[in-house]
Amino acid sequence: MNTEEFRRQLRHETEKWWTEGLINAELYKKIADRYQFDSLEQDASNRFITILMGLGGVLLGLGIITFVAANWQDWSRSFRVILLLSLFISVNLTGFYLWRRPADRKFQKLGHGLLLLGALILGANMALMSQMFHQSGNFYELLLVWGFGVLAMAYSLRLSSLGMLALLLLGWGYSLGWGTLILGQEANSLWQFVVRHIPLIASLLFIPLAYWCRSRAIFGLGAIIVVVSLVLNLRPLAGFSYGNLLAPGWIAALAFTLPPALLWGYHRALWQPVPQSQAARRVRALPPDPFQPIARGLALCFFSLLFYVFSFHWFWDVPPSDYQPYYAWDWHPLIDAVLLSIAALLGWMQLRHQFSRRWFQERAIHTGTIALMLCFNAAIWIWHFEVSPGAGVATLLFNLLLFLLAMGLVRDGLALSDRSVFWGGMVLLVLGIISRMLEYNTGLLLKSIVFALCGVGVMVAGLWFERNIRPRKVALPDGR
Amino acid sequence: MNPKLPKKPIDLPQPEPQVLPSVSVPGKRLPGWRLFLPLVFQAALIVAVPAQDAYTWVNGKTAVLQTAPVDPYDLLRGYYQTLRYDISDPSLLQSLPGGEVITSLQGQSTTFYVVLEAPDPTATPHPPLPWQPIRVSADRPTDLNDNEIAIEGQYNGWQIVYGLETYYMPEDQREQINADISQVQLQEQEAFVVEVKVDASGNAVPVSLWVRDRNYRF
Repeated sequence: MNTEEFRRQLRHETEKWWTEGLINAELYKKIADRYQFDSLEQDASNRFITILMGLGGVLLGLGIITFVAANWQDWSRSFRVILLLSLFISVNLTGFYLWRRPADRKFQKLGHGLLLLGALILGANMALMSQMFHQSGNFYELLLVWGFGVLAMAYSLRLSSLGMLALLLLGWGYSLGWGTLILGQEANSLWQFVVRHIPLIASLLFIPLAYWCRSRAIFGLGAIIVVVSLVLNLRPLAGFSYGNLLAPGWIAALAFTLPPALLWGYHRALWQPVPQSQAARRVRALPPDPFQPIARGLALCFFSLLFYVFSFHWFWDVPPSDYQPYYAWDWHPLIDAVLLSIAALLGWMQLRHQFSRRWFQERAIHTGTIALMLCFNAAIWIWHFEVSPGAGVATLLFNLLLFLLAMGLVRDGLALSDRSVFWGGMVLLVLGIISRMLEYNTGLLLKSIVFALCGVGVMVAGLWFERNIRPRKVALPDGR
Repeated sequence: MNPKLPKKPIDLPQPEPQVLPSVSVPGKRLPGWRLFLPLVFQAALIVAVPAQDAYTWVNGKTAVLQTAPVDPYDLLRGYYQTLRYDISDPSLLQSLPGGEVITSLQGQSTTFYVVLEAPDPTATPHPPLPWQPIRVSADRPTDLNDNEIAIEGQYNGWQIVYGLETYYMPEDQREQINADISQVQLQEQEAFVVEVKVDASGNAVPVSLWVRDRNYRF
């Protein structure tokens, strides 16, 4: 990236090399031409002007907004509506025509910024219109409508920044809407329907947007929204504080097993027919999907969180009581769960071609181990809630799964020289040890020993890792 | 000791001239409809948000409702005035003919219609006299007289909501009006009434507030 600072430093360094005789004048001139050293001063002055214009623009904008606010009540409703709509349309039009000019980079950025401003003005318009007619709607409905509006624009213009804004708005609107949904105070309206079926809507609208905009952030956030809304909507643990679950026990198994299964088995070939060459088809290999590592990473995060939270024994120790909560369990999200489990099954069926029979592979965390963890996970939930509550067994099994996952991640980090995987496993391991120690009543001496050991262990592991990883060899072009 | 130098110069990758052709910058000029179609959709959303209330505002029939005291801490929540009416009281509605529809199933809301009758049309005092509720029904009543209207409400087990519970006031007058209203509510609740407009489908919007003989219209 040719930032100005880099070019300045490069100019400084190349002058030094020239005076020291490392490079000759011809090479210096070539570098100066390529990186445009002589335009550095002009660029600095341009930048200064841009900053001043921006500041002036912001102040001017504030002045206009304050003027409008001062006279707002004095204008008639129709005038206000026309003013709002014309502002909205003009900002979007200007932004679009500036942004699509291929020549000027500065105007493209300005246009892009104006398009984002237009998206924000959309929300302000809706809020002000609603206020003009004294509507007493819910805030989450406004957020959802706003989010869908911005999503349409993001699809059409293929802008990932607008896509992220739409996702953030819809995610926020969903979380507020979920709050009103579980309180059960709303009539069955369109927006309650949307909140109930967000997992399906999100997977149909957000994931294709990620591919369309080629944005990893949108895919990650979209997948998180799908998974979180799936678990929250099913409400598997509603009522557990009363010792009496509203939902059947297998719902908890479904809610906590389906998301990681769906994420691990995800591949774009699930919903996009991917053209394959004859050779690939013979080997039954799928073309690589750039988003599959993100999905798998999210599956591992989900597992880590799940195993960590449910390894505490107090959760399994709640005794069942006869208290009956007054609200009924909502079965509508089960539709989404069923449809997404079909998708998960299709994904896993595709994986079977790549399924290696050997247990010990290069990666410790491979499809086989994930399948095993899924089965154990489901089995614990079903056993505890349907068959017989065995507090000790469930706690023990979840702790076992937690430490196995942590060690698997550490081993994978070492084998693949992947720092983030290694440290993820280490953090999980240390968290697990410290939580167990703090959870069960132990003496202070033991606590101090464990803390010290953990600290030393982390330091030793870090040093050992850096010393022993195989350095990734970059393939040099064959010039020798 | 001398590292073996490569024989040919290593080809450096060419730096991109301007900016990588990523999708945040269109490669070729996007056609105009790529903006117009979603813009029209967004404008439709903006207009649709207040659409039904705007229609009621323009075409509705004016009625007057008697307010009921609101929890003083909830009076001015943020930007709007919280309003409650005598017909927001479930027990009052349940005592009217047809009031047995005001029951709620577990965790669900019921929709109902309350029919109000105009007061004596010859008297025009300030503040105007409120309309009186005469009956309740589960379906929209089709046999209304000229001096009757029906408002749609929702009951969710502990609260009755008509869509008339918020009234936005400009910031500089908010405190003063609020003080006025609290004073009236302590002494004579009947002096605070709200003028609303109701359309044929039962949708109602608040139009103005009457505190003693002052009218606040925003």
